Amino acid sequence: MTAPAPRRDPLRRVLPLLEVSPARALAAVGLGSLALGSALALAAVSAWLIARASQMPPVLSLSVATVGVRAFGIGRGLFRYLERLASHEVALRGVASLRTNLYRVLAAGRLDAVAGLRRGDLLARTGQDADTVGDVVVRALVPAGVAVVLSLGAVITVGAFLPSAALVLTLCLLVAGVVSPWLTARATRASEAATVDARARVTDAALTLLEDSALLQVTGALDDERARLRAADREMSAARDRTAAPLAVAAAIADVAVGVALLGALVLGIPAVGAGMLAPVELAVVALVPLAAFEATSLLPAAAVQLHRSRAAAGRIAALLDACDPDGSVSAHVLATPPTADAPTHATVPDAPRVAAAGIACAWPGRAPVVEGLDLDITPGRVVALVGPSGIGKTTALLTLGGLLEPAAGTVTSPAGSSIVTAEDAHIFATSVLENLRVARGTVTEAEAAETLRLLGLGTWLDALPDGLGTLLGPGGATVSGGERRRLLLARAVLADAPILLVDEPAEHVEPGAADALVAEVLPRLAAAGRGIVVATHRLTPLDAVDEVVVLALPPAVPGASSATSDGLRPAARVVARGSHAFLLEHLPAYRTAWDLERAEAR
Amino acid sequence: MKPLDPRLLAHARDARGHVLVTAAAGVATAGLVVAQALLLAAILAPAITHDRPLAEARGLLGWLAGVIVVRMLVVGLQERYAHRAATRVVADLRGQVVDAALARGPRWLAGGDGPAVATLATRGLDDLEPYFVRYLPQLLLAATLTPATLAVVWWHEWVSGAIILATIPLVPIFMWLVGVMTQGVSERRLTSMQRLGAQTLDLLAGLPTLRALGREHGPAARVRALGDAHRRATMGTLRIAFLSGMVLELLTTLCVALVAVTIGMRLVHGNLDLQTGLAVLVLAPEVFLPLRQVGLHFHASTDGLAAAEAAFDVIEHPDATPRPRGTVTLPAADAAPRVEVRLDGLSVVAEGRGRTAPADLTLVARPGEVTALVGPNGSGKSTAVLALLGLVAPDAGGVSVVVDGAEHDLADVDLTSWHALVTWVPQRATLAPATVLAAVRGVRTTTGAPTATELDAARATGLDGVVTTLPGGWDSPVGQGGTGLSLGQRQRVHLTRALVTARPVVVLDEPTAHLDALSEEQVLAAVEALRAQGRTVLVVAHRASLVAAADAVVEVTARDDAPAAVAGRADA
Repeated sequence: MTAPAPRRDPLRRVLPLLEVSPARALAAVGLGSLALGSALALAAVSAWLIARASQMPPVLSLSVATVGVRAFGIGRGLFRYLERLASHEVALRGVASLRTNLYRVLAAGRLDAVAGLRRGDLLARTGQDADTVGDVVVRALVPAGVAVVLSLGAVITVGAFLPSAALVLTLCLLVAGVVSPWLTARATRASEAATVDARARVTDAALTLLEDSALLQVTGALDDERARLRAADREMSAARDRTAAPLAVAAAIADVAVGVALLGALVLGIPAVGAGMLAPVELAVVALVPLAAFEATSLLPAAAVQLHRSRAAAGRIAALLDACDPDGSVSAHVLATPPTADAPTHATVPDAPRVAAAGIACAWPGRAPVVEGLDLDITPGRVVALVGPSGIGKTTALLTLGGLLEPAAGTVTSPAGSSIVTAEDAHIFATSVLENLRVARGTVTEAEAAETLRLLGLGTWLDALPDGLGTLLGPGGATVSGGERRRLLLARAVLADAPILLVDEPAEHVEPGAADALVAEVLPRLAAAGRGIVVATHRLTPLDAVDEVVVLALPPAVPGASSATSDGLRPAARVVARGSHAFLLEHLPAYRTAWDLERAEAR
Repeated sequence: MKPLDPRLLAHARDARGHVLVTAAAGVATAGLVVAQALLLAAILAPAITHDRPLAEARGLLGWLAGVIVVRMLVVGLQERYAHRAATRVVADLRGQVVDAALARGPRWLAGGDGPAVATLATRGLDDLEPYFVRYLPQLLLAATLTPATLAVVWWHEWVSGAIILATIPLVPIFMWLVGVMTQGVSERRLTSMQRLGAQTLDLLAGLPTLRALGREHGPAARVRALGDAHRRATMGTLRIAFLSGMVLELLTTLCVALVAVTIGMRLVHGNLDLQTGLAVLVLAPEVFLPLRQVGLHFHASTDGLAAAEAAFDVIEHPDATPRPRGTVTLPAADAAPRVEVRLDGLSVVAEGRGRTAPADLTLVARPGEVTALVGPNGSGKSTAVLALLGLVAPDAGGVSVVVDGAEHDLADVDLTSWHALVTWVPQRATLAPATVLAAVRGVRTTTGAPTATELDAARATGLDGVVTTLPGGWDSPVGQGGTGLSLGQRQRVHLTRALVTARPVVVLDEPTAHLDALSEEQVLAAVEALRAQGRTVLVVAHRASLVAAADAVVEVTARDDAPAAVAGRADA
């Protein structure tokens, strides 16, 4: 691995994926400027109106100003409404584009990075984090644009009457609009960094107390844990308190900037009137405009904080992109083509489908192999079981056989389209049963779907569903038990065209009988129908029905020495025995013992 | 929902001081705003009408500078200290919520409300901070600055005062009207918006699955279409939701404009002097500013108050009072190596399920024997264990322990002294954050290498095999925030602890449920070793192998109660 080069701003990397239309963004800034510009104009015109009126001119000469004041009074609310709609529209379009583009990068990027993603992480990146990146438009970019336009407007207005006052106003606007937001963002970052550890300890202590109260009470640790929660909370408050001073300074200088601008206008304006450089009526404008000019900059400290938050979210998204698309070529391609231009995936069945592994080592990218020296050859009609205790590396081996992970050593020979992997945690989509099966192949007919479900022993389940194949699954829909879920996922794999199925058998949440029935009854049926199958399992009882059993185990520990390797990782598992179920029962005592124990349970 | 929940002040002492200080700061701010406006008008008016030189205004300018500095100090101090009360109140309430939840007992925590309380105690209460720091000060400003400025305006120029006074009630009326007119629509749209959002995320969550099936490319267009539909639905909601904001802005700004025009007309006709006019013009927007800010931070208020409400629901629940402690102190483990446990007709009613589980459970667990509790799921085996540990009060029957030849009803016993005699390996074995070795020794921190006894115990339970796979060996951190151990591995840690800590009573809840067959032997060996040490071993057992190893097997049964059933003894 090369040392990471100084990374460019992740927000700059992710923002192009939002595909923000410049015209729409400018429109939002324009409307926002009109809204706050109305407020500014209201202040300027009403100051002029009152100062002029005090000179008791003919009423008619004030009519334009009175109409203007009323119009600006209405304009502010109206334009603000339109600006909020426009900026939210930009943000929502951006988030929708970001999600689509993220999806497409993940769909086209490195397979192993996607296979290794946890559902929770994927949801957090594409859900909350994408929204946070989108917020940067509404809460940071548009307010910043408006502040620039409005500040320029105020400076030009004042400058037209009294350039020196405009200079003071400019300096004060820079303090309130640049220095104060910068300080605020910096202090917020410092505060978050200072509290992150204490916050984690608070969460940890609270969760430990609530989840393990009984155990803590019995082991006498309950009061200790309570004290730990209180201490962590105190620590968090103290850390917050230490970082509050810069925030206070930031707020105070923004406030004082308004006052200084006002004082400056008075101190410079009054002598200018005396010197005849400024009309008395104009003095009112020069003195009162600054009060309205700071409304736009007052939003900028929050905008700076939002920028920081969005950048952090963009950093997490960028990390995901880096894993899937290290050189950025996929992102570039995705941005260059609309989503509909993607070629539809054709799963063509090869003439001689097989999965042949020769001496492969199986590993997650960048990690040590968990399985080594695995040979396997599957052709249609054969059922092979991969057995070993939980955590030995069966899933990693299946993903490698299926081509979703690169083998760390050895070769996997498998014509494209030969095999598919059914992961133990594969996703059931929140849609109908039929659509969940069509995920495998869009052309699945209702008859095919029903037939396959019956083949897999889901006939009774299907008959009991309220809307049959149209029944919705997932949250808010019908619930699916662990065993039914496994069979449904397998049905999906069966309906796909690939002849060889790599099945990760349930380890948890399924009662042993249901798991056994799947292997013992369903898999031979599929083999008879011309499918080749590798099933990873830790149940030995049903293995009578498979052609070959491959037993994975850790190498025996050397007595007296730690079996951990020098890098602190566990050694890779190897094939310790293989053969038919009957052969292993006869020749592998540990296998026999384990099988006996399982059978004892069943009684 | 009230804007300031009085219970917040009752439960959180720090909140009271904060409210007082913030109110004082609000009064000070009101005074400063009024002073600034009056000073500004007093400086400006003579300069405009009489062309007075700067020198004459020097004194007033000094006062204005003073006001500006004091305002800066008030703002800075408020920002500096406002969060203190907030963090203290949050910490205080967090402690109270956790204590109240603990008092409800382990069965309630494991039930449906448990995760919600965990969320509330960890993240939910943090919503109170913006409420205290942002919303409450604005609310108090609305209560001080708005009437103060209005009074000053009225006193200077009653016509403008009347215009403002007439506008203020229009604000809530119009906002309420907008709310009523749009409520049904926005609720409908909100539902469709949430559904579309969920569908998009569902599709994204399924991406690894689609990729495994080689079907990942088609749905990109669908993600786009769902995103667009979601955007349209959201914009529909926002068009309505932003209306109330627009009404607020429109009314307040238009009112200020009307005030300006009115002042102008009165000036033209000589009914008003310029200084008064300027003062009123500057003050008019200040009347509405706090109202606008309250609207801006409205979400902070609803989220914060919802969190507070949820906290009070937990804290004020009648079941949240700790049970009285027993008075009998049992002897320590080294003085009482042999302890007998007796359950006599133990029955516990499962709340809300019309079921008694266990029902009439009677057993005697003797030292040097393994007693197995068997029965189908839901028959009350784990509840029986909780009752035996004194963590659940029996509804009928009782639990007693025989120590040193003396029998004590567990209800009279100080639970701390009873727990000092027991090692419990729960079904859902969790580990507090510590190293493996500390967890085995049952302490938080420890030093040194494992002793020979500990190594033997680890070998017996198979923990040694687990330790070799951990990067830091015996010093590896485990528990929350540490290395993830599987449930079976965590149970081995607890089992090892049971072997090495010399407690006379050992309770194992389904010790083999999460192990695969190849390692079950080790658990059986450990149980065997515990029996050989003369301990009183109670196991909740599913598996036949464990049942076969027991000296006594007790069937636990549940009873479905008829609605009018009385908890009493039935025929066993």
